[in-house]
Amino acid sequence: MKRWRRLLLHGGALLSTLGLLSGVFFFLGHIVLKGMPSLSLALIFGDTSPLKALLFTQRVFNGLFPAICGTLCLVLLSVVLALPAGILTGVWLSHFGSGRAKALLSLCIDTLAGVPSIVVGLFGFSFAILLHKISHGTVGPSLGIAALTLSVLVLPGIVRNTQLALAAIPRETHLAVSAMGATPVQAIVRVYLPMASPGIFRGAILAMGRCAEDTAAIMLTGVVATAGAPYALFGRFEALPFAIFTIASEYSGPEELAQGYGASLILLLLCALLFGLSALIASRFHPDTP
Amino acid sequence: MKLTFNDLSFRYKTHTILQAVSLEVPKGSLTAITGPSGEGKSTLLSIVNHLWRPDEGARVSGDAMARFDSGVINLLSPHLDLPSLRRKAAMVFQNPVPLPFSIFKNVALPLAFAGIRKKEEVHRRVERALIRSGLWNEVKDRLHDRAALLSGGQQQRLALARALVTDPEILLLDEPTSSLDATSREHIEAQLLTLKTHCTLLLVSHSEAQVERLSDRIYQLKAGNLKRMR
Repeated sequence: MKRWRRLLLHGGALLSTLGLLSGVFFFLGHIVLKGMPSLSLALIFGDTSPLKALLFTQRVFNGLFPAICGTLCLVLLSVVLALPAGILTGVWLSHFGSGRAKALLSLCIDTLAGVPSIVVGLFGFSFAILLHKISHGTVGPSLGIAALTLSVLVLPGIVRNTQLALAAIPRETHLAVSAMGATPVQAIVRVYLPMASPGIFRGAILAMGRCAEDTAAIMLTGVVATAGAPYALFGRFEALPFAIFTIASEYSGPEELAQGYGASLILLLLCALLFGLSALIASRFHPDTP
Repeated sequence: MKLTFNDLSFRYKTHTILQAVSLEVPKGSLTAITGPSGEGKSTLLSIVNHLWRPDEGARVSGDAMARFDSGVINLLSPHLDLPSLRRKAAMVFQNPVPLPFSIFKNVALPLAFAGIRKKEEVHRRVERALIRSGLWNEVKDRLHDRAALLSGGQQQRLALARALVTDPEILLLDEPTSSLDATSREHIEAQLLTLKTHCTLLLVSHSEAQVERLSDRIYQLKAGNLKRMR
């Protein structure tokens, strides 16, 4: 009987793993096969010279270059806004928070994690309207507001990853560091945060992925189909997920749909590039690095 | 440095761990506390460097005074400068707890906590601590290797160097050789005997043979009561 149970467990686990892997391979293969044929300089730069586009001397009208730039700016801005706040909140929850204040903040973070992105987008939109009124029309839905909205969206993930990574540090390490004469702040900055950095960067990578792919939140906060490369913090912008959404909902023939797949492939490659860069930065922060 | 406990009692919630304990540790001596496991030997050590947490249900009463070069400190005072106290009363634990940094950084970290940043000073102190712990010859060519790559015995001598680097006046040793093989234990014991000229040592060990070999004074802790054996 026990043998049957073990076989069932092993078989189930193997089937689930194979199912997951084949799903990932099928999905990636589908995007690559459909997107590769349309992948060209023309898809990115349109009729504009790539050099002039890259130097921002000539605007790209019928290519994905402005959307790529917009996505990059959006991801970097959102993570720059969310990372310090998320890490500090995680540190407070794991080291300083106690009692009702900690319970209340934990509840708020868990609730925020469960809020759909369209609702967070609506909050961003309301905030943009408020700013629009206060600034007499100079500030409205824009790259900065979209980045702020996305940073709210990814904050719970960064907080929880930081908190978990710090909580995983063994008690005997805490005792050893205290016995060395460290103040609580010295212990956190010089020992615990470097030790927790792999977990914190895992949170940052997940946040980057979320910022790169989320369409609902940015649709309400400043993304448009044609704005050119981002030119100001409070200016309208283009983004790849919105470009993919527009193509997929409005395509008039197989060629245009192929362009949508090409844009999806570019978004995947962009995410891979950002993940690679994050991993490189994380390796420099890793405590085992000499 | 001289350590004096008078009628010291320690209770954890409803359990009495130390009952009216009196202890005197003279300067430059190696005083050992022995006894069965779970009788409060480590608790006694944790009172010296204040690693016990008063907010976790622990209650302590009596007198516990430490005479350092800079003056007398009441170890039960709620207004202690804990980082400063812990640099004067350093501790080596049963497990070495190497931090995931290089060998050099592991030893230099307490100096950073103490605000000592001059490169030459840090290098000089790290080297001296590693010599005193008997590890220098084995690691001098690979100071920037990961500390986790050292053997168990070497890691414990690294922990000893980390404790010695701030020139403590008292060294608290909580079963420092219990998880080591015979050769590593002999290495550590040899270093402890040489350290008596630099600081006062308070050793907790359940090995009666070890305390006989090393100690000037021996106390036995049993059922919360401390009795001087030698």
